[in-house]
Amino acid sequence: MEKRIIKKESLADLVKKLTADMTVYAPVKEEDNIVYAVLEEGKEPFLPYKNTKDAPKNLFFPQAETLLRFMRTPRGMELEEDEAGKAKELVLFGVRPCDARSFVLLDALFNQDQWKDPYYIERREKATVVSLGCVHPPYTTCFCTSVGGHPLSTDGADVLLTDLGDSYLAEFLTAKGEALLAKWGDLPKADEEADKKKAALVKQSESEIQSRIPGKEIKAWLDENFEHPFWDTIHKNCLACGTCTYLCPTCHCFDITDEVKKGEGKRVRSWDSCMYWLFTQETSGHNPRTSQKQRWRQRLMHKFKYFVDNFDAIACVGCGRCVMYCPVNIDIRKIVTDISKL
Amino acid sequence: MERNPYLPIPVEVVKITTEVDTKDIKTFRLAFVNKEDEESFKYLPGQFGELSIYGKGESPIGIASSPTQKGFLEFTVQRAGVVTTALHNMEEGTVMGVRGPLGNCWPLEYLEGKNVVIVGGGFAFTTLRSLLNYMLYEENRARFGDITVVYGARSPGLLIYKDELAEWAKRKDLNLNVTVDKGDEGWTGREGFVPTVCKEIAPSSENAVTVICGPPIMIRFTLPVFFDLGFSKENIYTSLEMRMKCGIGKCGRCNVGSKYVCKDGPVFSLAELDKLTKEY
Repeated sequence: MEKRIIKKESLADLVKKLTADMTVYAPVKEEDNIVYAVLEEGKEPFLPYKNTKDAPKNLFFPQAETLLRFMRTPRGMELEEDEAGKAKELVLFGVRPCDARSFVLLDALFNQDQWKDPYYIERREKATVVSLGCVHPPYTTCFCTSVGGHPLSTDGADVLLTDLGDSYLAEFLTAKGEALLAKWGDLPKADEEADKKKAALVKQSESEIQSRIPGKEIKAWLDENFEHPFWDTIHKNCLACGTCTYLCPTCHCFDITDEVKKGEGKRVRSWDSCMYWLFTQETSGHNPRTSQKQRWRQRLMHKFKYFVDNFDAIACVGCGRCVMYCPVNIDIRKIVTDISKL
Repeated sequence: MERNPYLPIPVEVVKITTEVDTKDIKTFRLAFVNKEDEESFKYLPGQFGELSIYGKGESPIGIASSPTQKGFLEFTVQRAGVVTTALHNMEEGTVMGVRGPLGNCWPLEYLEGKNVVIVGGGFAFTTLRSLLNYMLYEENRARFGDITVVYGARSPGLLIYKDELAEWAKRKDLNLNVTVDKGDEGWTGREGFVPTVCKEIAPSSENAVTVICGPPIMIRFTLPVFFDLGFSKENIYTSLEMRMKCGIGKCGRCNVGSKYVCKDGPVFSLAELDKLTKEY
């Protein structure tokens, strides 16, 4: 693994350098929000950010994407074009380690041994992820260490940048990361001093995480208590707006619908949410999950039990978005903590 | 990379059979447009496909034909929603799509050497028909023991696969029991509910497996009959339905606990279902 030093004042230029021949997504300010957007040539990334409002899963698993196109022929509607295989090379710069970890979790689902999802996989393979470690975890709601992450985790990253004060330690973790280094050219090698600083920051950043939840510990209870009076309490305030699932870096449920206009059409995959009544509504009228209680139980179970059963990892990266943006202040940290006391 | 699982395989509707006198259940025979697709579409009884109509959407339907029947697939579909209505309005010669085969199959290896009791109600006889035709196939028949079928519908006009029922009735290697809740003037067969008929026939649970599909009310009253006959939950199989989109365990809506009906099912034994959450 190559370890180099990047001077703070030169980072923005290095990112801009990539925009010459690659599509670069970086945090930018859009009105009051910080979001990932294509860095147009000459545009600056916004570096003093905490985290983006939307999770970067959108880059690999778009909120809405065309799976295929079809057109009317004398024999009926026929396939015109498969949209798979059109992914472009891109760099995703400045991903927080929690969000980068979400890619590893999404990989487990979309890149299973059987049933590979070509749309996701191709985008993922063609993307280089540059993580920016959280030397000081940005929010009081951060709880990555409770669900398998770390403020300086390398999971899901091709390059990890760690702020050493007046410079960044850049660790080029994968072949894709090293290809980026080749584009950047001659960066000074990191010395032992940088390694020591990083080791100290690993400890320090972890100790700065203020929220801790018993994320792994509640699994045994969840295994046994699908039916329990506790479930009657957690959904009471829920508006079923779906904000938590839309902002979640690991939520991956989707719908597939057809759209037609003047003899041409497309099949579209778009994000869906287990918080919605229609999500499981069947044509017959039967619905396995008719109440918000059942839907909330599904959301929590999926993250802390079902995903663990299937992929041996909690489907939560501890970014805290659902806690920060829930309009009625439902806090998954509290729910998990409450369960641990039952 | 392997074939894109979201891409429907082009098929032509070559034959449409109206199954019932209410005309809302039809069987669609689909022939592969491309020969290589036919060769690669290897399925077993119990699996399903996503019937795909561009512009309308997709609907998950059990495969009603048997893999021993070459050159086509059959799906028996009730007209219910957007996709199935569009399907019912189709004419022979139309090209549509199918994705699959999806899901698991009836426990064929487990059934080998055993007596098999098939219980079906109403139009939930589709993948059971696939299984039955598979077992009755000349080269397969010796691998299975006695085969007993109990198939019921509300009225004679609501029985599906009438021609095949007549053919099966002639066979000596099959104990076929067709029943209707209430007969009409022309009906000379049995009258009675499926659970009652099962009780009368009383198939032995010795080295036997029951495979059951039907409306929930039928299943609820039939299961106790088989428990009384000594069938264990390990030896009763059924097939679940859930709302589905992707059919490959990703879109997240057809889970029962940690299992996805589309990928880990639709076939489960009652013993397996007992281990899952009761949310389906």
